[in-house]
Amino acid sequence: MWKYLIEKEFKQFFRDPMLPRIVIVFPIIMMLVFPFAANMEVRNINLVVVDNDRTDMSSELIEKCTESGYFRLKKICSDPREAQRMMDRNTVDAILTIGQGFGKSAVTGDGFPVGIKVNTVNGTKGSIGSQYLSNCVMLFMQSRAGADVASAAGASGAVIDAAPKYYYNPYMDYKVFMVPALIVIAVTMVTGFFPALNIVGEKEAGTIEQLNVSPVSKTAFIVCKMIPYWVITFFMVGMCLLIAWLAFGYVCKGSLWGVFLFTVLHIMVTAGLGLLISNYSDNAQQAMFIMMFFVLIFMLMSGVFTPVSSMPEWARVITYANPLRYYADAMRSIFLKGSSIADVWYDAAGLLAIGGLALTWAITSYRKTS
Amino acid sequence: MNAIEIRNVGKSYGKIRALSGISLDVEEGEIFGLIGPDGAGKTTLFRILTTLLLADEGEASVMGFDVKKDYESIRKIIGYMPGRFSLYQDLSVEENLEFFATVFGTTVKENYGVIKDIYSQIEPFKDRRAGALSGGMKQKLALSCALVHKPSVLFLDEPTTGVDAVSRKDFWNMLSRIKASGVTVFVSTPYMDEASLCDRVALMMHGRTIDEGTPAQIVAKYPYRLLSVKGKPMYPLLKYLRGSEGVLNCFSFGSVHHLAIDGSRTDAGKILSGISEAGFTDCEVHEIDPGIEDCFMNLAGQSADNGKFMSDDGKRD
Repeated sequence: MWKYLIEKEFKQFFRDPMLPRIVIVFPIIMMLVFPFAANMEVRNINLVVVDNDRTDMSSELIEKCTESGYFRLKKICSDPREAQRMMDRNTVDAILTIGQGFGKSAVTGDGFPVGIKVNTVNGTKGSIGSQYLSNCVMLFMQSRAGADVASAAGASGAVIDAAPKYYYNPYMDYKVFMVPALIVIAVTMVTGFFPALNIVGEKEAGTIEQLNVSPVSKTAFIVCKMIPYWVITFFMVGMCLLIAWLAFGYVCKGSLWGVFLFTVLHIMVTAGLGLLISNYSDNAQQAMFIMMFFVLIFMLMSGVFTPVSSMPEWARVITYANPLRYYADAMRSIFLKGSSIADVWYDAAGLLAIGGLALTWAITSYRKTS
Repeated sequence: MNAIEIRNVGKSYGKIRALSGISLDVEEGEIFGLIGPDGAGKTTLFRILTTLLLADEGEASVMGFDVKKDYESIRKIIGYMPGRFSLYQDLSVEENLEFFATVFGTTVKENYGVIKDIYSQIEPFKDRRAGALSGGMKQKLALSCALVHKPSVLFLDEPTTGVDAVSRKDFWNMLSRIKASGVTVFVSTPYMDEASLCDRVALMMHGRTIDEGTPAQIVAKYPYRLLSVKGKPMYPLLKYLRGSEGVLNCFSFGSVHHLAIDGSRTDAGKILSGISEAGFTDCEVHEIDPGIEDCFMNLAGQSADNGKFMSDDGKRD
């Protein structure tokens, strides 16, 4: 009986005019378009410089900043009000103010009268831009110090040379960082929505009534609904990994078994949740909206886009109930770091706990009798 | 043992009383018709008997199995065809049939004899998707699916609603053949004319049974003499007749009016001369035998405000 129930789900899936295409197209778009679009690197920051010093030294600093490639120098002016007006009109993102006596103090090694003002309407661009800018100024100071006061500085101790090295993603390539996260999102979307809509579809068609008067058990019914989506999702994950390799040359550092194990666990959670929601909704619209609500929250609070550690304490507590947090963390660790399953056992535990709960609830709340 | 026994079953949806005090016995091997307009509670009763719904009070059993305690046994021995056509539209005729056979733990081959009569008519289209079938063929497929596991009792909830007259006739012929093979058929319908095709019927309204028995018994209980009155224009004639001397009630039946009269105060001749004098044209008056519908209207008029009922009986044809 199980075999036939599963066979029927597959037949229906492949006969659907949309679903097989979505499963093919969705990962392709996710993997080929999103890594470029969902990019947190900031370039082309428009810069205006208020140069009150007008010395060789100050123009050297300006040059240093612009040659980094991150900034586009819009104008060098001497009136701070003009610079402010430009920022108000949104033509520039950052103002670098070089105070009088900059050249002199650079030579003597005193504090530099340099000011940085950043437009933070776009928070990411603003904060990253100000970091870049201050980095540029720091580098400049260091190079000055190295050139002019190398001997003098010897007395005040060694110049600290902090050269960061990025582990697991040496070039800070945002795309590498996003690939496992995008697989996470694709899997969540497909397994969260498809099984839920499938059951609600049987409700809407009335066929569920026929099954309810039959001797088919609840567990058989629910599990047979899930298995096809397991298979479909494996196919999709495989496709994503293949695209990541072909298009970007990224290979999973850890074992593929780990990837698939966590995918199985994650499907248990999302499909269980989807089935649970479908038990409580009467039609596809209701199921769609409720599922959308959860999927959105899961994504925003998962650490896929913004790190969990930068969330406030209360939000961090909430993320423990978020299956995506565990799945995304595990996938990134395995894919980028090559972690083994034992390294990320806590993620597996989290997924198992939430998945077990969702699935048990889904099976018990599915009532053949109202 | 009766195939179905219902004792004092009641059910409410919130404040709405869907069923109250229903008691019925359906004998093994008969076609039992549940007849009543939309909203009478027919589907609710079906859902209770098919273990899809729990009754608030009362007891019911199917083939001796209690609907509450032994629901698992009941699910193995009944066939259910809900009012809305519900098969998998994206599976073919054959796949649908195989699916329902498998779900009930049997095969099409094993029980081919049970469905042969009906299924052979749609077998030439067995590779067609169920969604692409005509209404009549869908109905035959649904019936095949409900029969494929050889049920002892077949529940058919408004199987002929929305089906054309020829297919309806066909369908009732199939039912009598199913009955002949030993299956008890419990069927509901809003069409009064189908009552005469059942062995026994129960008339339902507002969640209660208002009468039960063989169609002949019910008709025999009709207390008045009945006239069929024709004349133009129709609606003013109805109003006129309702106000006439000796007329107990009057309902419109298609192109004629049925008139229950007090035989001691009026008769066909008096009515005819009365309406001719009043200026109605094409007048004809005959004495007729009452049908189930006449009985229903009469009983409905007694048990409730019939004005309300008249306004929502759009399903009669």
